[in-house]
Amino acid sequence: MSFTAKLANIDRRVFYWILFIALMVPFLSPIGFPLSVAENTRDLYDGITGDNVEPGDVWIINFGYGVSAWSECHPGVTVCTKALFREDAKIIFMGPHYDVHLTYNKLQTTAAADFAGKVYGEDYVFLGYITGGEAAITQLASDMRSVYPNDYFGTDLDDIPMMADVNGWRDIDGVLSSDTGDWGSYFLRQWQGPHGTRLAQIGIAMLGSTGIPLWLAGNYFGMSVGSRGGAELEILINELGEATTSMDSISVSHLLIVIAVILANIGVLTERRES
Amino acid sequence: MAYPTAMWDVIGLWTGWVLMLMIYSYPLYKENPVYRTAEYMFIGMMLAINVVTNFSNVVRICITPMMGGDFLMIVPLILGIMIYTMLIPEYRWVSRYPVALLVGAGFGLGIRGTIAPNIQDAIISTITAPSDGGMMAWINFLYIAVGLICSMMYFLLTFEHTGPLKAPTRIGRLFIMIALGAYFGNTVLFRFTMLTGRAQFFLQVLKLIPM
Repeated sequence: MSFTAKLANIDRRVFYWILFIALMVPFLSPIGFPLSVAENTRDLYDGITGDNVEPGDVWIINFGYGVSAWSECHPGVTVCTKALFREDAKIIFMGPHYDVHLTYNKLQTTAAADFAGKVYGEDYVFLGYITGGEAAITQLASDMRSVYPNDYFGTDLDDIPMMADVNGWRDIDGVLSSDTGDWGSYFLRQWQGPHGTRLAQIGIAMLGSTGIPLWLAGNYFGMSVGSRGGAELEILINELGEATTSMDSISVSHLLIVIAVILANIGVLTERRES
Repeated sequence: MAYPTAMWDVIGLWTGWVLMLMIYSYPLYKENPVYRTAEYMFIGMMLAINVVTNFSNVVRICITPMMGGDFLMIVPLILGIMIYTMLIPEYRWVSRYPVALLVGAGFGLGIRGTIAPNIQDAIISTITAPSDGGMMAWINFLYIAVGLICSMMYFLLTFEHTGPLKAPTRIGRLFIMIALGAYFGNTVLFRFTMLTGRAQFFLQVLKLIPM
């Protein structure tokens, strides 16, 4: 049996074991791969800091990801929350996943110091779960109270001080949608497109291919792509965290995949030549 | 974030750790009863959370306002109930009306919002020459322009892809393959990031790295 045939016959579980173990090593012994900040991430950060945000501005942060995508989206959301709070902006948190309250609870711990100085109902509010897809996002633009008569804790929106004058797209200064799926597109089509609302996406790596053209066209004022984007944002705010810690491990996984792809291609080409 | 000290938090953490290993026993070993148990538990819990969350949502958005005097809320409620007639074969036709309404509304909303950002702005962005950014910006501009034109020509199906159309359609096919490759690559890498998150969790629970 040739070397390539032997290679092709290796049980796939061997690769899975190598991968699982290799991913853990950088956590135990960090490598410290260099990291540069992409322009789209810098645009996102610049768009939520400095002159682009006034004290009292109201922003929406949409948790369009569940627990399974915390490693991809949550570091970016954490940085953006910190940045907006430090500009004295008010934030409305919401999300279309059943476990949205778990993400909100996690944010309370990952951005604990910034939440400590803020008051619920005056500086931020958690509206909870939203369902209904694009139709609900459209309705949210015109009458927020029809989608959310009350917040996650059951308080009527009219009884929440920061929501007193907020009921639609006119009252919102920007939207940050953190997505594993289509929710950023809904805000794009129903808020940014027709009303010109400032919109940025904190997406998973998969959304990079579709989101970057929208950033280039100016529809997204910035975009963070995957946990790499989260790590870049952590560099920009100068507080290294979860994403930066995991970048070595992610780089090792990418390296392993590249090696596996090269080996597989060598195998195929060699077998083709032999036959 | 510190390692939890409350008893129920620690139990929750270890339950998650054990369930994760039960699920990973499938790719790392083979399909087995332990994996199946975890899988069924996951499906059952997700279904339960799904039902409870959505029912609570219907109560919050529809039933409570209706009880408060907003009787128009009866309309979406009836439409919602009509969808469930698809479970009864002889009345399945009833469900077509709310489904038609949903499809129509979704399509209309999608079209309304798609034209400006997804078509108009994309075209303007593609045909606008870069004003700054130097040589690299121009290379990107030309790359995107050539890619767009050639990829669109690939879908020119009224003419055979021979003669003057041969080269651009081949290039177009290459661009489409690159785009699909990038998309697929990003998809795979997203899954690996999720795996990285689990590897981190695995070590955190064992207190080998800080939480």
